[in-house]
Amino acid sequence: MEKHLSDKFYVAMKKLEPRYPNKKALILPALHQAQEEFGWLPKEALEEVAEYIGVHPAQIREVASFYTMYNLKPVGKNHLKICTNVACCLRGADELMNFAEKKLGIKCGESTSDGLFSLSEEECLGACTTAPAMMANDDYIEELDVNKLNEYIEKMKVLK
Amino acid sequence: MPKCTIDGKEIEVKPGENLITVAKRAGVDIPVFCYHPGLTVVAQCRMCYVEVEKMPKLQTACSTMAAEGMVVKTQSDPVVKGRAGTMEFLLLNHPLDCPICDKAGECDLQDNSYGHGSAYMRHSEERRTYVDVDMGPVIEKNMNRCIHCTRCIRFGEEVAGIHEMVAIKRGNNIDITTIDGNPLKTEYAGNYADICPTGSLTLRDFRFRKRAWMLKKTATVCEGCSKGCNMEIQHEGNVIYRCVPRENLEINKHWMCDEGRFNYHYTQDPTRVLTPRSGEATIGWENAIQNLKDLTDGKKITFLVGSDLTQEELATVQEYINAYQKGSSIHHFGTDGVSESVDDGQADKILKMKSKTSNLSGAEKLGIKSISHLKTATDVVVVIRGGRADLNVALKQVQGKKLIGMGVFLEKEISTFSLVLPGLAFTEKEGTIINHAGIEQKIKRAIVPKNTVKAVSEVLMLAANKKAKEAVV
Repeated sequence: MEKHLSDKFYVAMKKLEPRYPNKKALILPALHQAQEEFGWLPKEALEEVAEYIGVHPAQIREVASFYTMYNLKPVGKNHLKICTNVACCLRGADELMNFAEKKLGIKCGESTSDGLFSLSEEECLGACTTAPAMMANDDYIEELDVNKLNEYIEKMKVLK
Repeated sequence: MPKCTIDGKEIEVKPGENLITVAKRAGVDIPVFCYHPGLTVVAQCRMCYVEVEKMPKLQTACSTMAAEGMVVKTQSDPVVKGRAGTMEFLLLNHPLDCPICDKAGECDLQDNSYGHGSAYMRHSEERRTYVDVDMGPVIEKNMNRCIHCTRCIRFGEEVAGIHEMVAIKRGNNIDITTIDGNPLKTEYAGNYADICPTGSLTLRDFRFRKRAWMLKKTATVCEGCSKGCNMEIQHEGNVIYRCVPRENLEINKHWMCDEGRFNYHYTQDPTRVLTPRSGEATIGWENAIQNLKDLTDGKKITFLVGSDLTQEELATVQEYINAYQKGSSIHHFGTDGVSESVDDGQADKILKMKSKTSNLSGAEKLGIKSISHLKTATDVVVVIRGGRADLNVALKQVQGKKLIGMGVFLEKEISTFSLVLPGLAFTEKEGTIINHAGIEQKIKRAIVPKNTVKAVSEVLMLAANKKAKEAVV
């Protein structure tokens, strides 16, 4: 099979292997590592991970589609994940979502045409004490309001 | 042996037995969806809640192993409430389209809802709906009815040996489907419909043809190969509607292959020969027996018997030869490439055997030699077959001879025969067959045959009578 994942992936996996009781337990870290390389998980990457773990590609797809943090379609440079669970919702997450949709001109689950932003809904981020919360790529942005979100988007637009 | 108590009944348990198995032995029924005795335990559906003393919460009976001194209650208030709650959740998205669902009448969801659920529903939100993928010629999918028990996924992985069903996404958005929406590849797809506890996966062959509660059931054995899988013929008004596997842990466990499941179709084929034929012409039985006698009387004849006949039929032919056709030879034929049981073996890793006839071992046990030992055939050859034995194996050995056929034939198969005496198919007769491992099993009559076909024994008896009568005159 043609290799799509870099040596970096295999080096990282080699390092992780002793920490887990069996190879199957490596599915989640392997998917994270693969996602780091592409920004999302194309079919080829899933198949290669399956081959590395030694399970059927279908099982990898089941796992990858179960967790919302694995992207099964390409995402923009800045992936905004707004929590819309109870605590955040009570503190105005719906408003934030509406604002973001309008501001970026896309619907939840879509990406902007310039490839700069993606917007998605997230289940509880575990940041209820500082609700409403959002994840931008790997960073938490908490105690959000419309102004703060607007500022963030503008900043990222300038940075490109 | 350790003992535990279920609903006040003390019962012995074997180590490693789960509470469902133990309860069943104690005569206590525990409702289940995801648990299946032939598959691994996942405890997903939460329907088999039981209360175990000294355990703080309700336990799932499928994943709780019985142990010494365990006191289990299956009818206590928390259990009843727990099951009702589970039922309510399971029915949140179920369309309740039982009147147009093929599973109705044999549906676990229906039964358990009736037994443990509430007659009222508090849920008034819109139900989720799916666009279904085409799952191939055997199975029809209806994801709206699914309760995500994952029995199908586990069946593919653990029994059929092919991982083709997957659960995509999670929670309310879950979709149980095939990989990339491909049609099913396994040759055991019919089992998906059997194990599905709802009408989510139904058999295309059976869809909309009959209501489950109208069917009469006859326990018999499949004649598809030398495995001898136990099956049930489900029929009504003398018409077979489907065949389903019957549990036999020694032979087929809970499963059967599609070839065996749909094998019965040829017995109801509109082109099946149901009246005696002389060449192209249809003749009466009187003439047919006369013809048989004229062609065979006093001669040495080559008898070719299919290894799909029952022990009783084969023995009758042998006796007939000894009494009326002295010096005739008898050979069995069945599957191309499998002339004797030493050639037989597993055709796949699951159930299928190489020999496509059911009674190869039985024919050998009666001392009948394979057709591969036949040197030269006589001018007249009698071919007797049940319906499954491969005619080509017999015909290529006896080309250019005068052929008499007895048994089950389709129109297209009789062009080279000078005389055809139609017989009984495996669904229409009783008898014994011996499978590849030497296990003797009985096949049972499910269908009353047409009055224009006769059993092998009857045909031979009539022929013998005719000879005796003419000898007196």
